[in-house]
Amino acid sequence: MTGHPANGLDDTVHQRVRLGILTIAHEARLVEFSYLRDNLELTAGNLSQHLGVLENAGLITIEKGYAGKRARTWVTLTKAGQTALAEEITQLKLLISQVEHTDTSPG
Amino acid sequence: MATEAAYQGDDPDRLLSNTRELAQRVRKDQRATWFPLLVFAVLTFVSIPVRRYSGHHLDCLAVPRVCTVYSDAEFVYWPIALVLAYVAIAAFYIRRSRARGVGTRVRPYAIAGIIIAVALTGVALWEVHNPPADPMGLNRMVYRLATPGAAIGLALLVLAWAERNRALLLLTLAYLAAVLLPIIFGPVQPGSPWYFYPAILQGGVLLLGGIGFALAQRPLRSPAS
Repeated sequence: MTGHPANGLDDTVHQRVRLGILTIAHEARLVEFSYLRDNLELTAGNLSQHLGVLENAGLITIEKGYAGKRARTWVTLTKAGQTALAEEITQLKLLISQVEHTDTSPG
Repeated sequence: MATEAAYQGDDPDRLLSNTRELAQRVRKDQRATWFPLLVFAVLTFVSIPVRRYSGHHLDCLAVPRVCTVYSDAEFVYWPIALVLAYVAIAAFYIRRSRARGVGTRVRPYAIAGIIIAVALTGVALWEVHNPPADPMGLNRMVYRLATPGAAIGLALLVLAWAERNRALLLLTLAYLAAVLLPIIFGPVQPGSPWYFYPAILQGGVLLLGGIGFALAQRPLRSPAS
């Protein structure tokens, strides 16, 4: 295993939609399915698939309930999800700084 | 609502900038800064007749000769009004959060607001019964900070931090400057034509701030097609 930052990227998190879900859940603390769907511009089916992957990885928890007569699905980030998000952001920054360093290196 | 694609690529730069953009969008959706500002503006303006039409007490120490003037009704009005205001603000944020489908950051603000309000009321009550011997001393200045205005301002700093809201931070600093004016220049005595000006100034700052944030944070509607 080399020290290249790309090796530190987690395939579950290093995916644009799933990273978006984790980011929104991190900022919002508690986020509703329709908010995620609208802000990530996904279909309900597509979003459900990504939520399933994140839930199976233990990065989010999903709770279903009702607000009046409307069914609601609430998503929260787990501790593992917070750690995974922080690590992904760190790795992305490392990757960018390494690419910039390579770009500015002579030769 | 998103008007452009949430993601336009998988490269790290793009992923990071989209992450920041999403975080900003969530923070904007969580904010309802105008509501607490307008609530406190109303409470500040209502406190003017409460103070005007309630009796004033004059407590004096014989040696050294130091007198404290205070309004009984304000000691009842402000603690109750502040606690009820924080309960109403928390309820408003939670209801709005459920409607929007995104969590709220109101809890630290409401808790801090109630703690600060109770603590500063306690300090103010203590001051009435134990006036500092040196009217110009540092402890006197600290006592003068124990005002409802300072309680509102200090709690607004917590809200600015919780909402990561720089505009609110700037407004709160302006508001605290308005609160500090009578502290720096000394309290205005009852009967003076300037007696209510601090409350009018503080209420005015909150009102204008509340209107400004209400305009800035109003939901944008997409043009009718």
